[in-house]
Amino acid sequence: MVDLARKNLLHDKLRFFITVAGVAFAVTLVLVQVGLFVGLLDNSTVTIRHLNADLWVTSHNTPNIDFAHTFSDSYVQRVRSVPGVQRADNLIVWFTQISLPSGAQEGVEVYAMENFERWNFPWSYTGARLNDLRRGPYLFLDDSALQRFGPFAIGEYRELLGTRMQIIGRTQDARSFTTTPVAFVDFDRMQAISQQVLRGNTNYIVVKLEAGADAEGVRREIARRLPHNDVYTSQEWARLSRNYWIESTGLGLNMYLTVFLGCLVGIVVVAQTLYTSTMEHLKEFGTVKAIGGSDGLIYRMVGKQAAISAVFGFVLGAGQALALRPMLSKLQLQMVLTPDFGAIVFVGTLLLCLAASAVSFRKIANIDPALVFRT
Amino acid sequence: MASKIVLEAVAVTKTFSEGSVSVPVLHGIDLELQSGEVVSLEGPSGSGKTTLLSILGCILTPTTGQVIVDGQEVNASRPHLLPEIRKRSIGFVFQQFNLFPALTALENVEYSLNVRGHRGLEARREAERALESVGLADRHHFLPRDLSGGQKQRVAIARALAGRPPILLADEPTANLDSTAGLQILRLFRRLAKESHSGLLIVTHDPKVSAFADRTLRMQDGRFVEGFIPQAPAQEIVERSVLAS
Repeated sequence: MVDLARKNLLHDKLRFFITVAGVAFAVTLVLVQVGLFVGLLDNSTVTIRHLNADLWVTSHNTPNIDFAHTFSDSYVQRVRSVPGVQRADNLIVWFTQISLPSGAQEGVEVYAMENFERWNFPWSYTGARLNDLRRGPYLFLDDSALQRFGPFAIGEYRELLGTRMQIIGRTQDARSFTTTPVAFVDFDRMQAISQQVLRGNTNYIVVKLEAGADAEGVRREIARRLPHNDVYTSQEWARLSRNYWIESTGLGLNMYLTVFLGCLVGIVVVAQTLYTSTMEHLKEFGTVKAIGGSDGLIYRMVGKQAAISAVFGFVLGAGQALALRPMLSKLQLQMVLTPDFGAIVFVGTLLLCLAASAVSFRKIANIDPALVFRT
Repeated sequence: MASKIVLEAVAVTKTFSEGSVSVPVLHGIDLELQSGEVVSLEGPSGSGKTTLLSILGCILTPTTGQVIVDGQEVNASRPHLLPEIRKRSIGFVFQQFNLFPALTALENVEYSLNVRGHRGLEARREAERALESVGLADRHHFLPRDLSGGQKQRVAIARALAGRPPILLADEPTANLDSTAGLQILRLFRRLAKESHSGLLIVTHDPKVSAFADRTLRMQDGRFVEGFIPQAPAQEIVERSVLAS
C-alpha cells in the first residue's frame, strides 16, 4: 500500500525536522535529568550495596547513611551475642575536615572500620592492603576527590582535623550523594582524630548473618536488646537513604517537575506541528474521504505520523543523551541509563506523541468531504 | 454492451439549515445516467450544481427523495455507509485536481486503488494501465509539482478511472486549464468513459463541454430548466477538436 502518511510527513522536511527536534529535546531532557538523578541516588546507596551486610543498626531516626548520629561502640557486643549473627562490626561514617597542600580546608566523608578486609570494603582499590590501615596514620582516598582536592598520589600526606595522615591507597567509585569525597581510615584512628564526638562512639553496627539464620528473628532480637536504636535490612536501609533525598529535599520534586515539563514540551511541539500539518492537508484528507477513505483511515495516518516522529525523536534524543554521558562522567556526574529505563521512555514518548496526534482527530472527524469541490 | 442506469435521482430536494434559518437549494430533481453516457450539467453559480453533484456522489445526503447508485439505494439515515458506496462505485475528478503533492503520478493513482481495497502488484499494474490510458506512461515518477495543468488533470482522470467504477463525476474539470488543454481533456474523458462504459456526469460553466456530451442539462435556482437546448458549439471548436483527434 502506498504509504501516504510517511510520504506526507517526509515531504515537508523542515516541519518534520522541527517535530523530531522537539521530541528529541524532551527525550534528552528526561533521560539526562532522570539519569543524573538516578546516578546521584545510586551514589547515596553505593556503599550500602557494596558493604555486603545483612542488617544495619543505626541510631534512632537516622535519615540516611550520610547523616548519622552516634551511639556507644560497646553495643556491638550485645549484637555479636545474638544467635544467628556470624559477625558484627562498628562502622563510623563521619564528615570531617581535610587540609590540602595549598592550606585550604575541604570536607571529606570518612568511613572507619576495624577490619575492612573482612567486609571486602571498599570494593575497588589500588595501593596497599586494606588491613594496612590499622598499622598507622594511613588513609585510602577515593579518586572522586581529584576534582575537588586536586591531584594526589599514594605516599603523599594530608591532615584530617590536624592529624597528619599518609595516603596509602586509592579507591574507585566510593561516592556519597552529597558529592563530598570519601576516605577510609582505621576505626580507632578515627575515634582518636575526632575525640570530642567519636571517642567511645560509633555510627553504625553492620551485621552479617549465619547461613540459614532467620533474618527477621535476629532483627527482632537485636531491636529488643538495643531499644534506642533502629535495625534495618540492607535493602530497607538503602531504600530509606534513597527516599530521604527524593522526599525530604526538593530534589525529587525538581526531578518530577523536569520530567513533567519535558513531556509537556514534547507533547505541545508534536501536537502543534501535527495539528498545523492536518490543517494544511485538510483538502487532501477531504479527497481521501471523497474517494472512499474512512475517518479511521485518516486517524491511522495521523497516528502513524506521530509514531514516526516519536521513533526518530527518541533515537535522536537518546543519542544526544548517550553522547553527553562521557562529558558528564568527567565532571564526576554519573548518568545511569538502563535498557529498562530506555524502554520506558520510548514507550512513554510513543504514547505521548499518539496522544498529541489525537488533538487533530476532532478536526479530521469534522472534515466536510464537500470541501474537495471548493476552490 | 447494453447500457443500464448507473445513477438515478428521484425527486431529490436539499435544504440547508442553520439554526432557525433554512435555505432550500434543490427542488425536486429527477435525473438518470446510463452506463457509457456523457452528460453535462450547466448552470450559473449558485444554481445548485455542486450540491447536486455532492448528493449524487454520496458526499451529502438529500433532505428528501431517493438516490440510487449502481442499483443500490442510498440510505440517508445511514450516512456511515456512504464511503463504501463512493469507494465501490464512484470516481471523482475535481476542478483543482486534488492530487497528493507528496505522491508521484503513479502513487496518486495507486493510492486510490489501495483505498478501494486493491493491494500489491495488482494495484500497481492497474495504476500503470490507467496512466498509460491517459498518455502518461512516461510520467510515472513525476511529482504533481513537475506536471503541467493538463498532465495533472490526466493523472486525476486516471485516478478516477482506476478500478473501473461505473460512475464518473467531474466538477469543472477544465476550469483551471487553457482552452487547448481543456479540449484535449474533454476528448480524453469522453473516449475513456465510453471505453470503460462508465456513466460520466460533468458539472461545468464551460459551454464547450456540451459538444462532448450526449446530453446537456441546465440548472437554475435548484431546478432543471425544461426545454433547454444547449448552445450549438462554435464551428471552430468542433473543427479543432476533430482535427486534434
